[in-house]
Amino acid sequence: MAEERLATRTQFPASAESQKPRLKKAQEFPILEKQNWLIHLHYIRKDYEACKAVIKEQLQETQGLCEYAIYVQALIFRLEGNIQESLELFQTCAVLSPQCADNLKQVARSLFLLGKHKAAIEVYNEAAKLNQKDWEICHNLGVCYIYLKQFDKAHDQLHNALHLNRHDLTYIMLGKIHLLQGDLDKAIEIYKKAVEFSPENTELLTTLGLLYLQLGIYQKAFEHLGNALTYDPTNYKAILAAGSMMQTHGDFDVALTKYRVVACAVPESPPLWNNIGMCFFGKKKYVAAISCLKRANYLAPFDWKILYNLGLVHLTMQQYASAFHFVSAAINLQPKMGELFMLLAVALTNLEDPENARRAYAEAARLDRCNPLVNLNYAVLLYNQGERKGALAQFQEMEKKIRLLKDSPSLEFDAEMVEMAQKLGAALQVGEALVWTKPVKDTKSKHRSASASKAASLQQPLGSNQALGQAMSSAAAYRKLPSGAGATAQPTKPPSLPLEPEPAAGAQPTEAPAQIRETQE
Amino acid sequence: MAAASSSDSDSGRAESSEASSKWLDAHYDPMANIHTFSSCLGESLGPGTPLVVGDLGPSGQHPRLKVLKGPTVLTESPLPALPAAAATFLMEQHEPRTPALALASGPCVYVYKNLKPYFKFTLPQLPPNPLEQDLWNQVKEDRIDPLTLKEMLEVLCVCRFLQLELSEMEAFVSQHKSKSIKRQTVITTMTTLKKNLADEDAVSCLVLGTENKELLVLDPEAFTILAKMSLPSVPVFLEVSGQFDVEFRLAAACRNGNIYILRRDSKRPKYCIELSAQPVGLVRVHKVLVVGSNQDTLHGFTHKGKKLWTVQMPAAILTMNLLEQRSRSLQAVMAGLANGEVHIYHDKALLNVIRTPDVVTSLCFGRYGREDNTLIMTTRGGGLIIKILKRTAVFVEARGEAGPPPAQAMKLNVPRKTRLYVDQTLREREAGTAMHRTFQTDLYLLRLRAARAYVQALESSLNPVSVTAREPLKLHAVVSFQVCRAIRLPQGQEGRGQG
Repeated sequence: MAEERLATRTQFPASAESQKPRLKKAQEFPILEKQNWLIHLHYIRKDYEACKAVIKEQLQETQGLCEYAIYVQALIFRLEGNIQESLELFQTCAVLSPQCADNLKQVARSLFLLGKHKAAIEVYNEAAKLNQKDWEICHNLGVCYIYLKQFDKAHDQLHNALHLNRHDLTYIMLGKIHLLQGDLDKAIEIYKKAVEFSPENTELLTTLGLLYLQLGIYQKAFEHLGNALTYDPTNYKAILAAGSMMQTHGDFDVALTKYRVVACAVPESPPLWNNIGMCFFGKKKYVAAISCLKRANYLAPFDWKILYNLGLVHLTMQQYASAFHFVSAAINLQPKMGELFMLLAVALTNLEDPENARRAYAEAARLDRCNPLVNLNYAVLLYNQGERKGALAQFQEMEKKIRLLKDSPSLEFDAEMVEMAQKLGAALQVGEALVWTKPVKDTKSKHRSASASKAASLQQPLGSNQALGQAMSSAAAYRKLPSGAGATAQPTKPPSLPLEPEPAAGAQPTEAPAQIRETQE
Repeated sequence: MAAASSSDSDSGRAESSEASSKWLDAHYDPMANIHTFSSCLGESLGPGTPLVVGDLGPSGQHPRLKVLKGPTVLTESPLPALPAAAATFLMEQHEPRTPALALASGPCVYVYKNLKPYFKFTLPQLPPNPLEQDLWNQVKEDRIDPLTLKEMLEVLCVCRFLQLELSEMEAFVSQHKSKSIKRQTVITTMTTLKKNLADEDAVSCLVLGTENKELLVLDPEAFTILAKMSLPSVPVFLEVSGQFDVEFRLAAACRNGNIYILRRDSKRPKYCIELSAQPVGLVRVHKVLVVGSNQDTLHGFTHKGKKLWTVQMPAAILTMNLLEQRSRSLQAVMAGLANGEVHIYHDKALLNVIRTPDVVTSLCFGRYGREDNTLIMTTRGGGLIIKILKRTAVFVEARGEAGPPPAQAMKLNVPRKTRLYVDQTLREREAGTAMHRTFQTDLYLLRLRAARAYVQALESSLNPVSVTAREPLKLHAVVSFQVCRAIRLPQGQEGRGQG
């Protein structure tokens, strides 16, 4: 090889300044920022070990004066979770260069992460004095105020931040404030603006979709969730929300195929398995439904919705003792819900315990405000026990509730319930025609699907037919068809509803309730 | 000849393992001992010119300038300091037009021609802070003593002086009285900008980014500073387009997470792109700026700063560079990821994925030796990988989202029920009421018994009961299916009998 091999230090001609005296000074004062670029490169590539090594070397050489090295060291501490040490190092940086707003911001952020929100606010204000127009300072001040529950100040700060520079994160925080204050409409406004600004952000789209779902505006909810899914087909929240909407419309197969995607990504999710279980329930595959619900229950033992569904499915399967257990567990977790007591009463009725069933119904009627099914079932029970007056009173309660509900536009009543109510009305000789002018939907979905995002603490919309159809088995349980339709003999003895005023053969039940229900559909 | 001694294959065409791959494996040497970044790979500017690599050495020690020809390292020479960036460019118009190599390290740019050191440019020193200057002047004239000087300096800035002990201060002051204060800054990044013609072999200027938040453009012949621009933060990556004399656009990704876009004749940035994370790479593809971020995403921005698209990466991005296939006039972005893959993107669409045995830390695509489309990669362990793009290779964009994700085809694994379950279900249906009654009775009896036992224990003072809340009792219970018998009390308590 003809090329030379330069083993010794190369000599360079014509340098800008003379070498020698500078050399001496260079040895005395190494440039502090000599390897800042290397530290930075290692840091952004997440190569923290190499970064720490270079930092250590630099700090030794410069005797702790290299500000950037200390800064990055503090950032790495924060990533590792040592917030206190990180705070101390940032304070050192702030001392080294007091005019730099960045260091103060980092100190404030460390205080925030340690939970000292008031101190963080003070430091942020100091930083704001140095740099007026920094959206980050305004944004973080807003977040601190949120934690201190001073929502108005937070609101102002976040709006300032938005004026300075729009960012998705600020919109999300603003939306959170409104949600914390319970103001859904304003939250929706904010999220709409955010989606306009950043149409590809799946988190914004999903949250907006869920909010619409809460308000019951299904069309828009579906639109936004669908958009979120086109950008990210494996988005967990969006798929769960979309799936639950499909379930309410009865598209169980489509919902199941969607859930498959999530099941691969997040296999241990209780709401997912709850919804899958209820899809199977809608398709009448009860054993599969029970398996899925039991898995969901194993993953989340304290979720009342899963227990409710388990109770419902077991009632359908005529396993009343198990249903009783599940429903009582659900009641322990959610003591103020009328429908749960109603299910309990159904189970007790089928377990031949009418007194306790009555008490359960009474509690249900007391707690429930809007579901006419509760009163209907109570009326049926009372009628069966021969108390016409009580039955009549409950029937009238039911009618009141129906009238209230009729104003709601998207309501459809379950066919069986309508029929049962009419029969009962005839039996009680109520006389005037019941006012059922709403379209009656032949429903297959009689279940409660868990809401998509548990974190959002969503309340299921109770006005739709899915709620009304909840315990259709109970209503059907009291139907005795005239002259032996569906008369398959089963040894259980549920009390049935005689359709003639005189008690026809007392309580001679011969049909199993679930059996009847199946033939009806 | 150092390093690269155990290379196994020649620079010939070793066939790649997959026949359908678009790349030929030309060379892979895991022991090449080359540790570098993409910014330190100097592209070879013509046929026959070798590739130059500013090697940082395995742990940042022993920086070397390595010249690669074929698969081997041709020459190696030690460097005075760690190279921050390397660039090859043409310095002058007149013959012989050999490209020069510029290496930026510390405050200086070392220019090599024909692999021999040619010139060294040092950044001009920064003017000192006038207040500080004033203070030192006062010390020089003995108007104030070192202690006062120290107090006043503490307010202003950081410097070595503040670290010294009192006794040393006197010595320090007397030693340096005569000299003037100087501040020197460091180069952080460097790139080349064509001076006045857009040809491939036209003369280029050097653009330097400094730790002092400035950008300098240097004249290639005289090494004078042609332009100076300032930024709000320290630049990390630079991308230029255009010609200096005519019109140029410069994008600088900085340490504060923003990207500033400057135009000719503007001292300050015109547009600003705010990323919410740190930029890891910056590549300009036609009119689009592709930015890789610390959050494993790739973004595309217009040159005015509007976000066009975002793509999520499966792993962290380590390095990015441009892929230009001149024969098919294709420009794409290569991103080396932390999971050992290199993804090639054209806008949002993924064109190709290359799997490498080790994580790639630097990428360079271009002409190398006699081959036009060569991809040279160095890995984290110091290895060198050279791949050649097949001449027949055509990059086809994948057809967007081809239907639902593959996970949808997999069936749900619903737990199966056994025969025993079915039997139990039937049994419950038959005897549900009885089961319920028995259970409730037993439950009440159990509660009753437990309450009785508790009352009895309270009455006969069998249980030690803690009086103060500050000394809670600890009980170790052993539960068996018989009646619970053994209750072990901790040592300090008096066991007054069996529990």
